[in-house]
Amino acid sequence: MEGIFARLVVLAASGMLLTGLIVLWRKGVPAYIAAFTWQSWLLSGMTAAVGYLGGEPQLYLVAVILLLLKGIALPALLRATDRRFSTRRELLAYVNTETSLIVGGMLVLFAYVLTEPWMAMTKLPTRAALPVAMALLFVSLFIIVSRKKAITQVIGFLMLENSIALLAVVGTYGVPLLVELGVFLDALMGFLVMQIFLYDIHETFETLEVDQLARLKH
Amino acid sequence: MTTRGVPLALAVATAGYLAGAVAALLARSSRGARWAAAAGASLGSLAALVLAVQVLVTGAPVDAGIPGLLAVAGGVVVRLDGLGAFFLAIVSIIGLPAAVYGAGYSADETTGHLRSLGFMLNMFLFGMSLVTCAGNVLTFVLGWEVMSLASYFLVMVETGDPETQSAGLWYIAMTHFGLVLLLPMFFLLSSSGGGASFADLRLGAGMLTPAMRNVVFILAVLAFGSKAGVVPLHVWLPRAHPAAPSHVSALMSGVMIKLGIYGLVRVTLDVLGGGVVWWGGLLLAVGSVSALLGVLYALMEHDLKRLLAYHSVENIGIILIGFGAALVLDGYGLRSAALVGFAASLFHTLNHACFKALLFLGAGSVLRQTHTRNMEQMGGLITRMPQTALLFLVGAVAIAALPPLNGFASEWMVFQTLLAGAQIPRPELAVGIPMAVGMLALTSGLAAACFVKAFGVTFLAMPRSERAAQAREAPLSMRAAMALLASACVVLGLGASMTVPVLYRALEGLGGVSPAAAAATPGLWVEGAGRLAYVSPPLLAASLAVVVFLGWLAVRRALGRARLTDTWGCGRIGQTPRMEYTASAFAEPLRRVFAELYRPAEDLTVSTHPESRYFIRSITYTSEVHPWFEAVIYDPIIGGVRRASTEVRRLQGGSAHLYLLYVVAALLGALGWVWWS
Repeated sequence: MEGIFARLVVLAASGMLLTGLIVLWRKGVPAYIAAFTWQSWLLSGMTAAVGYLGGEPQLYLVAVILLLLKGIALPALLRATDRRFSTRRELLAYVNTETSLIVGGMLVLFAYVLTEPWMAMTKLPTRAALPVAMALLFVSLFIIVSRKKAITQVIGFLMLENSIALLAVVGTYGVPLLVELGVFLDALMGFLVMQIFLYDIHETFETLEVDQLARLKH
Repeated sequence: MTTRGVPLALAVATAGYLAGAVAALLARSSRGARWAAAAGASLGSLAALVLAVQVLVTGAPVDAGIPGLLAVAGGVVVRLDGLGAFFLAIVSIIGLPAAVYGAGYSADETTGHLRSLGFMLNMFLFGMSLVTCAGNVLTFVLGWEVMSLASYFLVMVETGDPETQSAGLWYIAMTHFGLVLLLPMFFLLSSSGGGASFADLRLGAGMLTPAMRNVVFILAVLAFGSKAGVVPLHVWLPRAHPAAPSHVSALMSGVMIKLGIYGLVRVTLDVLGGGVVWWGGLLLAVGSVSALLGVLYALMEHDLKRLLAYHSVENIGIILIGFGAALVLDGYGLRSAALVGFAASLFHTLNHACFKALLFLGAGSVLRQTHTRNMEQMGGLITRMPQTALLFLVGAVAIAALPPLNGFASEWMVFQTLLAGAQIPRPELAVGIPMAVGMLALTSGLAAACFVKAFGVTFLAMPRSERAAQAREAPLSMRAAMALLASACVVLGLGASMTVPVLYRALEGLGGVSPAAAAATPGLWVEGAGRLAYVSPPLLAASLAVVVFLGWLAVRRALGRARLTDTWGCGRIGQTPRMEYTASAFAEPLRRVFAELYRPAEDLTVSTHPESRYFIRSITYTSEVHPWFEAVIYDPIIGGVRRASTEVRRLQGGSAHLYLLYVVAALLGALGWVWWS
């Protein structure tokens, strides 16, 4: 039972990391939104699984909220945003696809190196997923830094939130419910603020390319 | 022990200043704003004066405070002891006339200006009072910053003027320089002790190693010296004082820079306990240089307020000479002579506050009428503004240290302290102390010369400009304020033997000063190798009066035979202002003597008639003195800061991605570092 549980968790976490890497590789906002949707569903499912096998019933509630908020509501909002601004399919990046993937791989390696002492310390059955969660965190940060379109950055930001939630679930079997709810609300607020910014950036500059903001300097 | 009345005075003082600040902001009319600010400030300073006098008379410190306010840093704690009360008295004695004067002086300002002026003036006085009452580091720094920021905004009243902008920049930069050194000084003192009250700091200082105590002392000298305006940290004084309105200049020069002295005395004597000879030697040297350079640059100024600002540098130097010499004497165990020195520096602090504020107010009255600070365009004002002229003369005589006024009394005590140092058989002091005596004597003489120039060129002879010819006497509020300060100069001078015991009381309990020693030290004399050097200002005044009376009799007798007529003008008919002795001409001999120091830039342009070069149309002579050592010290610093800022600016690339990359790189770096170590 223990062994299956551990493998299940690693599988789900790896799936989440894969969806993160998809953003580095695919071009086009619908693909990103799909990746994010998959990632959120995986996170929700895994939270429920950890709740069941770890005997933490409050994680069910977290899983449901995750599903509703990040699995259904936010993707729908993102799709609406995408339609409204009718962004071009080819998305711009500072780093090309090949280099992005190499950097992504390096970040995953770095995450494994970094979490080594942590894994030696903890005895949780979910510990094998820790480096994967950390790697997703780094990859999400890399997405935010390397993509030019504001909407891609929003998706990167949401993936960063997912990776933090994942880290909390596999690292500690979930932080207290109150904190979890706080993080959700935080994510939602962040998303709404970014939506407003997206709208304003679009209105002002007729584009969603964030590097146009450099004109605001001075 | 606290009586019920004492905290009441504290509450009234606080309420007065704060109410004055708020009322000035809310005032509807120009008149309302002016008088609301003046009323609040007057009430506040009167109550603060009552409080200070009570502490000085009873000798019992006042404790109060709001521990709940900013409790994390120790809360706001008020503890007013003798030393604090003495400086609070200075704040109040100058604050009251300055506030009254300001109401008349700023009559021409717009209502909007007056609101902020009244608000800032009250906050300025409140901040300065808080510094003197502070019982812990937080309260001290809080008051210090309120004082600095309020005075910065007061300097910047005429924001449009580029000269004012430059002055404000210099001032705020030097203020921050001081604060940057002040904070580590307090951290060093409190790191070894428990809390941050001054009593804790005293304990903490006792546990520091001698090397750390030296570091604390050096930080204190730099931090408080930048506020007091010692050379070479004085650069902001001649810039900021002229830019501010005159009653604010009076407060800044009369009171605010004295709080630098307060901080230095508090830290060196009270917290660190004094006792290190080279500290005194350093202060003595810094003081001598400040005094001499201050007066030398003052002599070359033709801007009346800049001249006064340089004299503040000079007088801060004299105060430090007294304090430094006293520290040296204290280090060699000559307690009673040291006490005279400490008292001398405090006495000169009070005296300088009175006469310098009086002179700035007088200068303000003059420039309000003539609309210029350039002395070369004044003249003849004694007939147009006789009362202002008389009051200015009182201040000039006091600052020139002529008996029987107060400047003489305190400089006399400083000299006595220095001469007492001759008892110490050490070669470095045998050379250093006579040098300091010489520099102080030279300073006093040059100061007298400088005020002959300032008074003569401004008030005597014929008006040099249309404005000066049409000047009118200042309004009553301004004259009353000046009269108050002038009478303070006279009373402090004649009543010096009564004032000095109060100073000993203020010094009680500081460093090695015991109440018994304070009581045993007599008035204005010290024992110097078996001789008594005694001087009685009232006696001097009486003999002066006799001489003046006899002289007046003689002149009257002579006038019976003489006839009154114009000054002989070499046979030319009619006198014009162009024949007058100018300020530049008066200072010319000294400019030649000290040419190496001044390095004047002179330019003589003679334009002749095209037909013959023997007919001269005009001669233009300009001579400018720029303090070259300012350029030597400050230009590399300013250049370095500017280059560094340009380099740092590159970080701000303007790209949101770059900023995000910084965040990510910092995170990865931190994680990597934790993993590595």
